Amino acid sequence: MKRVWALLLLFTLALAQTPTGEPPPDLSPEVFRIASELRCPVCQGESAAESNAGVSQEMRRQIAEMLKEGKSEEAIKQYFVERYGEWILYAPPKRGINWLLWLAPAIGLLVFGFGLWRYLAEARRREAELALSEEEIRALERRLEEE
Amino acid sequence: MTPGLLGNVALVLGFVFTALGLVLSAVAWWAKDARYVEAAKRAAVFSFLAALLAFAALEWALLTDDFSIAYTAKNHSTKSPTWVKFATLWAALEGSILLWATFQALYTLFAARRLRDYWMAPAVLGTLFGVQLFFFAVMLFVANPFTPVPNPPTEGPGPNPLLQNHWMMAVHPVLMYLGFVGISVPFAYAVAAMLARRYQSWVAETRWWTLVAFGFLTAAIFAGGWWSYEVLGWGGYWAWDPVENASFIPWLLLVAFLHTALVQERRGMFKTWNFAYVTLAFAATVFGTFLTRSGVIQSVHAFVEGAVGPVFLGFLLAVLFVGFSLLSRVASEVRDVGGLNLVSREGLLLGASLVFATMAFVVVLGTLFPLIVEAATGDKVSVGSPFFDSVFAPLGTVLLLLMGAGPLFPWGRLDAYAARALSVMLSALALSMALSLFLGATFGVALGVGLFAYNLVAVFAQAGRGVAAWRKKARGVLAAVFAYLTRARRQVGAQLVHFGVALAALAIVFSQAYRVDAQKTLEVGERAVVAGVPLTLHRLDARDEGFRYAVIAEVEVPGVGRMYPRLHYYPTMNSPLAAPSVHYGLYNDDYLILQAFDTEQGRWATLRLVRTPMVLWLWIAGGIILFGVFYIVFPGFALRRRESAEVAA
Ligand code: HEM
Repeated sequence: MKRVWALLLLFTLALAQTPTGEPPPDLSPEVFRIASELRCPVCQGESAAESNAGVSQEMRRQIAEMLKEGKSEEAIKQYFVERYGEWILYAPPKRGINWLLWLAPAIGLLVFGFGLWRYLAEARRREAELALSEEEIRALERRLEEE
Repeated sequence: MTPGLLGNVALVLGFVFTALGLVLSAVAWWAKDARYVEAAKRAAVFSFLAALLAFAALEWALLTDDFSIAYTAKNHSTKSPTWVKFATLWAALEGSILLWATFQALYTLFAARRLRDYWMAPAVLGTLFGVQLFFFAVMLFVANPFTPVPNPPTEGPGPNPLLQNHWMMAVHPVLMYLGFVGISVPFAYAVAAMLARRYQSWVAETRWWTLVAFGFLTAAIFAGGWWSYEVLGWGGYWAWDPVENASFIPWLLLVAFLHTALVQERRGMFKTWNFAYVTLAFAATVFGTFLTRSGVIQSVHAFVEGAVGPVFLGFLLAVLFVGFSLLSRVASEVRDVGGLNLVSREGLLLGASLVFATMAFVVVLGTLFPLIVEAATGDKVSVGSPFFDSVFAPLGTVLLLLMGAGPLFPWGRLDAYAARALSVMLSALALSMALSLFLGATFGVALGVGLFAYNLVAVFAQAGRGVAAWRKKARGVLAAVFAYLTRARRQVGAQLVHFGVALAALAIVFSQAYRVDAQKTLEVGERAVVAGVPLTLHRLDARDEGFRYAVIAEVEVPGVGRMYPRLHYYPTMNSPLAAPSVHYGLYNDDYLILQAFDTEQGRWATLRLVRTPMVLWLWIAGGIILFGVFYIVFPGFALRRRESAEVAA
């Protein structure tokens, strides 16, 4: 038992994850909500709320602190954008080339919808072309009866 | 005989039989001679046996701790439990390609046995052999699991600890590959139909296969979500991670195809669209593999191994080239005729397929957007849950509205029954929304509740219509209900699936909106309120489990009992891995994570509690969807058997 604790101590010291002896801060739901919209800068595609990397824990601590100071969500995000760039935001800001992304659903619906409309118009036109007139139908029916 | 030798021999045999099958199919096609088809079918049997042999050889190496081949030396450890050793076969790149090839050979074999149409058979088999040849070639020339190691080590690092943490990781990839590979069959039928110029009947012939692939893919996605939930330690089931997206894209395209295929079956329209959907769904499976195996995109789930990236990219381009050159021919030959009344079942189906296609487009663009922006401007951006959630909410709303109405409408028009039912459904939507808002729900939650009520009424209205149709033939209401449930399996199955989707949507809305997540440090013996729940930390334990160290907290949660969240230290990982403790409940799930602890004396622990409503219902909804698919697919066997009995008689 003692041996295992000692080993774990060695482990954590070697990793220098959190400074030993000092527990991490208490965090409110608000902290995690904000952290979930920020990227963990050293992870492979995890948010600062998901990841347990040292940087993410530090980010959560900072968010908690800034919330305590009464900063708004916007101001907190801005703080991280200044430190890491806009890359830190999981929802790219709506400007410039990012509009392409935000408008993707509208573009998709319009493009596919236009294709669908063209297709249907074409099919209907062909139907009208191929349709038989009343007289033709009657003529055919007469021929059928005769045969 | 060593596993390495056996494996290499098996791979060569597999390659040769597959190539032979391809050649025989080609000869059968050009010579229009069915005897070559029979020979090609036999080649399918042998290529499957060879794949199975290679699979067995790798398992042999893994289970006997044989480190003389590259795959075990890199990914195996003698200390893993037996099930981990077995599943290590698909825990890394080369082995997962072997699993893929084995499944491909299995599907080729089954598809060969079910082929009826001798005009199309050579092309179906040829396409499947072509795909299969690619995987054998990748193993032989690029990523061979059986490459000998000059100086075999006596111990290896073992598979990625994330994968060892949960048995689901042994199941999830298997389901995923069964789904991915399953799409190759409808694709092969589609290619064959285009080559043989039989543009109409293939959608009906492949429906069974499409549903099977859809079922496996759905199961894989739910299993993956469940695995994320249990293992990744943040209490979420879906993160819009590139790897998750890579499985979602083919799923969306497959659903789009299933629904436009209904229109083609019934009305003979959208032949080119259906071909495009199948080609894209198949291409999306290759694209997903390329994304996750090439290191192009970062993700927690990705294997970063560059060499196969370009190969998969080449294969992807080949698939798209074949698909779209055939498509251009189809487009120039097929002239669908007919006016559609859009206020009808087919109109709603087209609306649904429009939304599915748009969703697929959004996921592709969102996943690739960081690459696009970086290439265009050099800037770095991230696209994740906040974006996808906000975009999928409106698209999902439209989809759920269409889903209730679609199966209720008759073909070609709107009738009085559907109009009446629709007005009841819309009233249910409005009433339950108003009630939810009154009870203090947010707009999003109220909309979610409303859409669920709408679809719930729709299920009954659809069933009512179905039963009414049987009333004329059956004696009594009960007999009619029974007849509907057992004879109209396709409709009943579709209704189950749709109900499952509506339930899943409700669970997602609630779990997103009302999740609380808080963290607090407790002394051993202390009781404190975390996220509104009073927790007591009783004990903190450390244990040497052989292949890892574990630290275990014993926490009392009122109404739940004791929970045991853990932290695992693996020798190969440079940070501990949390193994959360989850308590499933009908209303809320309690999810406890051990975040940190006093490494010196074990006196305190930092706990994170995530309390999420309705997560259990998401897994139940997944079960309902799968049962619905099974309900439609299952009689497929029975039908075929009866058919062949009739043919024999
Ligand atoms: C994620 C959402 C959806 C899923 C997973 C889904 C799945 C399915 C499945 C598996 C079938 C059975 C197909 C077959 O037997 O060939 C089906 C049938 C059907 N679906 Fe969907 N569907 C979804 C959404 C929709 C939507 C939005 C509509 C709107 C029009 C719709 C309309 C239909 C219709 C009309 C049928 C045929 C039902 C019958 O034969 O009685 N579905 N669906």
